[in-house]
Amino acid sequence: MNTNLKISNVTKIYPGCVANDNVSLELNSGKIYALLGENGAGKSTLVKILSGVVIPDEGKIYLNKNILKLNSPSDAKKNDIGMVFQHFNLFETLSVFENLIIDSDEQRENLKEKIDTIMKKYNFSVDLDVPVLNLSAGQKQKVEIIRCLIRSPKVLIMDEPTSVLTEQETSELFLSLKKFSEEGILIIYITHKLKEVMQLCDEVAVMRRGKLVSVSQINNENIESLANKMVGQDLKTIKKKKENTSSEQLIKITNLNFTSEDPFETNLVDINFSLNRGECLGIAGISGNGQSELFQVLSGEIISNKNSIEFNKNFIGDLNPQERREYLMAFSPEDRLEQAAIPQMAIFENVALNNFKSSNFFNNGLINKSKIKEHSKKIISEFNVNTDNIDLKSQFLSGGNLQKLIIGRELITSPDLLICFNPTWGLDVGAINYIHETLIKINEQNKSIILISTDTDELLKLSDKISVIHRGKLSKIMNAEDVTSEKLGILMGGGN
Amino acid sequence: MIIDVNFVGLIIASIMASAVPLILASCGELITERSGVLNLGVEGMMIIGAISGFALMTVTGSLIIAVFGAMLAGVLISTIFAFLTQTLITNHVATGLALTIFGIGISAMIGKNFVGIPGKEFPVLFEGLKDTIPLLSPILFGHSIVFYFAFALPFITSYFLKKTKIGLIVRAVGDSPESASNQGINVRLVRYACILYGGAMCGLAGAYLSMIYTPQWIENMTGGRGWIALALVVFSTWNPIKILIGAMIFGGLTIIQFHMQAIGVRIPVQFLTALPYIVTIIVLVVISRDSRKIRLSTPSSLGKSFHKDN
Repeated sequence: MNTNLKISNVTKIYPGCVANDNVSLELNSGKIYALLGENGAGKSTLVKILSGVVIPDEGKIYLNKNILKLNSPSDAKKNDIGMVFQHFNLFETLSVFENLIIDSDEQRENLKEKIDTIMKKYNFSVDLDVPVLNLSAGQKQKVEIIRCLIRSPKVLIMDEPTSVLTEQETSELFLSLKKFSEEGILIIYITHKLKEVMQLCDEVAVMRRGKLVSVSQINNENIESLANKMVGQDLKTIKKKKENTSSEQLIKITNLNFTSEDPFETNLVDINFSLNRGECLGIAGISGNGQSELFQVLSGEIISNKNSIEFNKNFIGDLNPQERREYLMAFSPEDRLEQAAIPQMAIFENVALNNFKSSNFFNNGLINKSKIKEHSKKIISEFNVNTDNIDLKSQFLSGGNLQKLIIGRELITSPDLLICFNPTWGLDVGAINYIHETLIKINEQNKSIILISTDTDELLKLSDKISVIHRGKLSKIMNAEDVTSEKLGILMGGGN
Repeated sequence: MIIDVNFVGLIIASIMASAVPLILASCGELITERSGVLNLGVEGMMIIGAISGFALMTVTGSLIIAVFGAMLAGVLISTIFAFLTQTLITNHVATGLALTIFGIGISAMIGKNFVGIPGKEFPVLFEGLKDTIPLLSPILFGHSIVFYFAFALPFITSYFLKKTKIGLIVRAVGDSPESASNQGINVRLVRYACILYGGAMCGLAGAYLSMIYTPQWIENMTGGRGWIALALVVFSTWNPIKILIGAMIFGGLTIIQFHMQAIGVRIPVQFLTALPYIVTIIVLVVISRDSRKIRLSTPSSLGKSFHKDN
């Protein structure tokens, strides 16, 4: 049977922002629809309305001409709308089967049979008895999908599903989605990755600042046209100039090991690499393969053997992050609001946290506020942070602005090496572009970067050398020109 | 020296009897905590249960009304906690501490008129079988119904959490209230129910103290057992069976150190008094060392307020 979903004049207003401004859209089964937009464009709010998590201020939703009352997630489920959230809605400490049975009314045996049928049909393999926290991101997503399929949904909404997947997992997912679509499930695919829209979808709806700005057939679009619609202006794309980098070695890691006492961390095994001035070393990998441990060891959050890290001809493996900063290393951790900045503190206070002997932020134990504020203003203007209020709590900055502030704080002292971990995670195209430009610029100033990232495109764009981390082991270092995303994908999955 | 086996049996029975209030309160608190709520008001709820039970027994003369009344009193006082923490989203720790202080105060006030009044005899079950089997008879027979219920409770609790749908929902809410809410589970309702159940069990534990264990009212008669019960939950890593073990060790050492003091063992009294606390914690830490299992049984959202944004 055909499914017709109609969104009619939906408006949702949050204090200080119109998340959805009179959005109307009609969708039919048999097609895969892309809902495209930058962060904050309102696409998440719209799908939250469709899945009953958020109640709109105005507007109506119709499924097959019947008006839907979506006051809670269970209403959406009852009306055959399934949703796979970007941040998985799974219970980590419960087993896969417990996660699946919790919202099902069926008997254990019936459900088990049903799950088996679904897994066979779509070629999924997930162990039902292990706790979810032992699964990879790709497997967790499969659990979420199975959970939707158990209810034989008419509509399946996928919210940025590939942000945690490898190349291979992504193509598996696309195959499954196409199969679901052929079977008559209406698929809404939310993303800000243009390449995926072109690969997968039949029609694309673009949102910008809460408004629906265009709906079109994918055949009439290309990556550039979609990018421009999404951002609302022409984007210049930057490319890294390949220059002759110097051959002066900056950092050398020798036989670096880390054994964790926490069974949910990854041990690092025999890490060896070196990096010259002006080079960018990209470290690829699926999240959870030792990236955060590697970052912590390199930044000094975890202290290691003195001789294992040689930086600028000094052995610094036993120094803490503050001491390493004095040797001109700089760090931008993955979690902006937990590790890089303190959310409840003002911008200038966060700047002061990065305190150097030379910065004179403190006099005889007292805070030199004017000095810090002056320094903060300099960072804000040099690194395009879109605010002029340095007393603002950092939690109120958007992800992009916060990341610019953090990168600015790290770079304003012109360090020799910047170590960053997923610097553009969750940012919109404009901010990503800015961060990438900045990183390229510091390479051109003969400074080095270690870029740990789960975004393969970003790594291929910025790196001179690339290595892959898998289960705490680093692959051999490759020249970026010799590497393709397919090859990285294989290495990331543990292949050769 | 010939040891009378029945005497050993009696000692074991008295150890078990002293473990009863701990088991009841811990198993109640365990359910509360498994749903992600940290209620530090256990001591307060127990003492409210103790005075309510004793007062109702004295006034109405009915043991059944007294026992259920004590549980209801526990439910009522925990409703205050639930309303504050779940509806008004107050801090769990501060609210729980306030509950304990409130409970101790109000019980002392109500209890003024009940000091010195003798309690009633509580009926025991299977009394006729008391002399049938050596050693085991005093352990198995001749106890109150609350005693039997307490020793069944850890197994019931374990079965409830592992095998039933509602138990699964409780664990899910404790693991991630956000996910549970997105799955259409009413997080607030589940947590309310778990808090109220915890209150009922603490009320029963208190009633056991004032009506069965030492049938009289003494001000502050719970004597810190609520805090021990709380500690048992944590050190047992939220496992009801380990609560049983911990409560038995604690009860056992408390009884044995009394006997040791009585026969004049040359160990400082202070050390003997502290012994149950130290040994219980060490034993529970040792049997709960597997950090993987701790991760799987610790409610991730414990003590965090859940506010559904919309």
